[in-house]
Amino acid sequence: MSVGQLAGGRVPRAARHAARRDVLFIAAAAVMAVVVLVSLIGPFLAPYDPNQLYVGPVSGRPSAAHLLGTDDLGRDILSRMLAGSPTSVFAPVVVVILATSLGSVVAVVSAWFGGWVDAVLTRIIEVIFAIPGLVLAVLAVSMFGKGVIAPVIALSIAYLPVVSRLVRIGARTELGKPYMAALRIQGVGSLAICFRHLVPALLPAILAQAAIGFGYAMLDLAAISFLGLGAQPPSSDWGVMISSGQPSLLAGAPEQSVFPSLMVVLTVLAVNILGARVTEWAEAADR
Amino acid sequence: MSALVLELDGVSIAAPGADEPLVRGVSLQVAAGEVLGLVGESGSGKTLSVRAVAGLLPAGFETEGVIRIDGEDIATLSAARLVDVRARRLGMVFQTPRAHLNPLRTIGDFMTEALVTVGGESRGAAEQRAMELLAEVGIGDPERRMRQRPGDLSGGLLQRVMIAATLAMDPPILLADEITTALDVTTQEEVMAVLADLRKSRNLAVLFITHDLALASAVCDRIAVMQDGRIVETLKAATMRADACDPYTQRLLSAVLPADLRTGEKGSDPVLVVEGLRKTFRVRAARGGRRESFVAVDDIGFSLSPGGSLGIVGESGSGKSTTARIICGLERPDAGSVSVKGEDWTLPARGTAGRRRRARIAQMVFQDPYLSLDRRQTVRQCLREAVGVHRRSDSLAELDARVDELLEAVRLDLALADRRPRSLSGGQRQRVAIARALAADPEILVLDEAVSALDVTTQVEILTLLDRIRRETGVALLMISHDIAAVRRLCDYVVVMQAGRAVEQGPIADVLDRPKAEYTRLLLDSIPHEGWVPQRRIPARTQSLPSVATSTTPVAVPPGRKR
Amino acid sequence: MSASTIRQLLGKLGALALTLFLSSVVIFSSILLTPGDPVAAIAGGRRPTPEMIEAIREAHHLDQPVWLQYLYWIGDVLRGDLGTSFLYKAPVVDLIAPRLGVTVLLVLYTIVLIVIFGIGSGILAARRGGAVDKTVLVATSVGVAMPTFVVAILLIWVFGRLLSWFPVYGAGEGLLDTLYHLTLPAISLAVLYIAYLSRITRSAIVAQQGAEHVDTAMVRGIPRGRIFRNHVFLNASPQILSISGATVAGLFAVSAIAEQAFGIGGIGSLLVEAAARKDLPVVQVLSLLLVALFVVLNAVIDVVVAVIDPDSAKSRRDA
Repeated sequence: MSVGQLAGGRVPRAARHAARRDVLFIAAAAVMAVVVLVSLIGPFLAPYDPNQLYVGPVSGRPSAAHLLGTDDLGRDILSRMLAGSPTSVFAPVVVVILATSLGSVVAVVSAWFGGWVDAVLTRIIEVIFAIPGLVLAVLAVSMFGKGVIAPVIALSIAYLPVVSRLVRIGARTELGKPYMAALRIQGVGSLAICFRHLVPALLPAILAQAAIGFGYAMLDLAAISFLGLGAQPPSSDWGVMISSGQPSLLAGAPEQSVFPSLMVVLTVLAVNILGARVTEWAEAADR
Repeated sequence: MSALVLELDGVSIAAPGADEPLVRGVSLQVAAGEVLGLVGESGSGKTLSVRAVAGLLPAGFETEGVIRIDGEDIATLSAARLVDVRARRLGMVFQTPRAHLNPLRTIGDFMTEALVTVGGESRGAAEQRAMELLAEVGIGDPERRMRQRPGDLSGGLLQRVMIAATLAMDPPILLADEITTALDVTTQEEVMAVLADLRKSRNLAVLFITHDLALASAVCDRIAVMQDGRIVETLKAATMRADACDPYTQRLLSAVLPADLRTGEKGSDPVLVVEGLRKTFRVRAARGGRRESFVAVDDIGFSLSPGGSLGIVGESGSGKSTTARIICGLERPDAGSVSVKGEDWTLPARGTAGRRRRARIAQMVFQDPYLSLDRRQTVRQCLREAVGVHRRSDSLAELDARVDELLEAVRLDLALADRRPRSLSGGQRQRVAIARALAADPEILVLDEAVSALDVTTQVEILTLLDRIRRETGVALLMISHDIAAVRRLCDYVVVMQAGRAVEQGPIADVLDRPKAEYTRLLLDSIPHEGWVPQRRIPARTQSLPSVATSTTPVAVPPGRKR
Repeated sequence: MSASTIRQLLGKLGALALTLFLSSVVIFSSILLTPGDPVAAIAGGRRPTPEMIEAIREAHHLDQPVWLQYLYWIGDVLRGDLGTSFLYKAPVVDLIAPRLGVTVLLVLYTIVLIVIFGIGSGILAARRGGAVDKTVLVATSVGVAMPTFVVAILLIWVFGRLLSWFPVYGAGEGLLDTLYHLTLPAISLAVLYIAYLSRITRSAIVAQQGAEHVDTAMVRGIPRGRIFRNHVFLNASPQILSISGATVAGLFAVSAIAEQAFGIGGIGSLLVEAAARKDLPVVQVLSLLLVALFVVLNAVIDVVVAVIDPDSAKSRRDA
């Protein structure tokens, strides 16, 4: 008998209970809710035309008229951030959806069939893993040109191995458990075993991975924009804003870079906290 | 009475934030050279008590009462002194030697570490001493063993290494926490023989924690019986049957008494015939990383009559579970045949329809009921699914009616139907697993170590239940077990397996009461019983063989794989 | 070294070669997958002159079957002939050679920071617990959300504008001056990885602290420091190593961001510039170089882990 068993027993209810008092979790969820909402309706909330030059002073400080100040071309920073939020938020969402769904399918197929199917898929995943995401994105940009599309596709592929390795190990563990053998002996159909038992068992881990993946995708896409290979000016993707504000930094006007940076960091922080909590609950439920 | 080397006086232990202590007012004394058994089922607090002595309670656990090690009250000692007292006066051996040895360091590192850091010996002297200690516990070729890592040694050998290491500081007392639970009976006997020798040669006192009353009564001087955190009574081992007055002790005692449940119903044509079964696995060799063949099942054949019960006994790695898995279509044999009611079942069924048809005839109950149930399903959902497979047109109400019948059949309270496995006890889980197996009214029930993971009193309940089900429904039982006593209770025919082969088979009374094979006799003799003197019977085996830990726990076969 | 270890290493080497081969095929095929004429793709999507077309056809063996084109290409690369950039009108090797040094230096500088502060803070958090653990937890939570370009922006603002302790542009001259110039870029690269590695280290150590064999050592009275070194950290190190290996190996690619932000002319900024101008021959060779570095570094880490824990290599292959 292990000591862990002594203390265990009623974890999930305790976890659910804890969630209600978990300030950090609530804060993170609130930040995410705001970010998602803004990315949906943000462009309509913008007080100014985001691309209109000289609606205010050049590199103006935050003021009542321009809450977050104005950039080096006199554009309203708040309006630009709001206008840029759909690309900045939904591009990583697309990456995560593509990478997670594709990666999970590959992993489940790999674990389910085993043998040469597993060997071939694992080898392919291994090769993709060897090409860092940024390199794949750069390669895609030099093939298809600058813009959001090429990096999104490249990152979706580049993130595949992380998801698929994790899910494959989870699926193999799950398939190795006696209850899977029991289901087969009972004559439960393969599809039912897969979708009623296997996939639900893997779902928490997949979701947690998706949350963390979203954070990485957001950082990587912003980085690609920052490098000038992603979304192009005058688009106000957050990465573009950060990069185009760099000269103003040295001139003593940090707002143009710092506010979008803050947004990126806050969003990623929030989604990481959510991901960590999902993982904790999944582990508690597993015990 | 000689000096007390360990004394617990009114010791209570509470988990952080818990209202009720887990251990309540435990008092016990161990005299020099004495073996005190501390017996109880899982959750009784015996492990916590001994961990309190060793200073291994998890953070936040609170202890009350007095613990004296070799006469010193540990509460009065400084932290540094306490570490030293424990290091020199206590030896502790655990249930799972493999987990309790650092897998990355050699046996030599392990053996010498305390001698050098606590005993202050030089490296060379420590190595010399370590080899003497290994020899003392009967480990051959200690020089070679010193260079190996735990992964290269079998569980029995590792347990001896653990014991040898605890002797480094010549402690007066050994804390032995379920030290043979994870071992086979023959290995258990060897470890116990080592302990008996040490007791004689070193006047070593032992606090022997176990759930196995039979083992305890065979090796201990006195036995303290623990239940729900309390010691219910302490008895002299020799006279405990007569002296026991607490009802719990009596229940434990009756649980180990053999009681004949069988009805020798000899029937018509066999429902299951197995012939010349053979299965080879490709396994990675323990050394060298090269793949090699491992014959798990070798020329096994038997038949099972309707309503009959057949037991397959053997130690871990004997191939008994693989045989069961082949019959249930979870593995493919390399040769031989399985036929059920005249139909060829040698190969796993193709497709869902085929599996469903076989599911109505043969079902299986697994060792670990927690792992064999989907933890996300409630009892009702699980049973509904099992019933629904065969009654695809039934309404939900009809399914539920059948579920209630099944719960009734396994004597499970209907109120538990909406619980998930985590909030059921081990025995309740296994009842659910049995109910699920009965969902299709099978004619054969394969029990793969179905009671081994349960507490003794629960084992008896489940065995009784299975026997009753057999009488009521006429299902034939195929019982796979390492536990000869359990097989004796339930089966009328037995196959004894060793290293994949059947060394002996026949009607249960013939085989177990008049064994012909050397190995059967060895198995029977190594079961602890009254007047048992554990012996090192097969020194040749443990010393000359490379003692490879070949795990034959079946590797997960991907379900969708068409081979 | 035992025969089995050597056999394992040979197996690893084979897998390594296969991965390198397959990824080189992927990189090579980027020309074929580029929409439009391969000649245009190689020329950078601009309208090439007839002489250029001829030169490109010649240099890339475009009249040959595709698999031969690949063999010519990879053969040239392996012999050190990295091809020609038709945009820079220069051999690729001449573009890379002068820029490699500063990138290598930057990455090494970053690795030093990551190892010292990442592993150090992880150990500190795991061993001290309590307030130290909490502080490190908060810091690393923020840290893993701090991408290189954000840290770079903040550093440029703080040091370039508010304080003037470190230069914020260029790579400097001579080793010491270069290191001085690379300090902020290295910090900007390191922050996220420090935070990440710190968390990995902490959780690996905490997991090992709870291992049952540590209980054994405690009962035996082994001194705490020794338990930590020989039973906790040693056992946690394979996990720390393999995860940090995979991350650190990616630094050569990520260094592009720091190079861009701080105006350093390394191979990262060359890669970005080439990609922006669609100079496929340069991008291909650099990608191949980065992938090779990544794969080889990971393989080296695997070997180190296998030496610490011979059994893990076996079981991992089974997993």
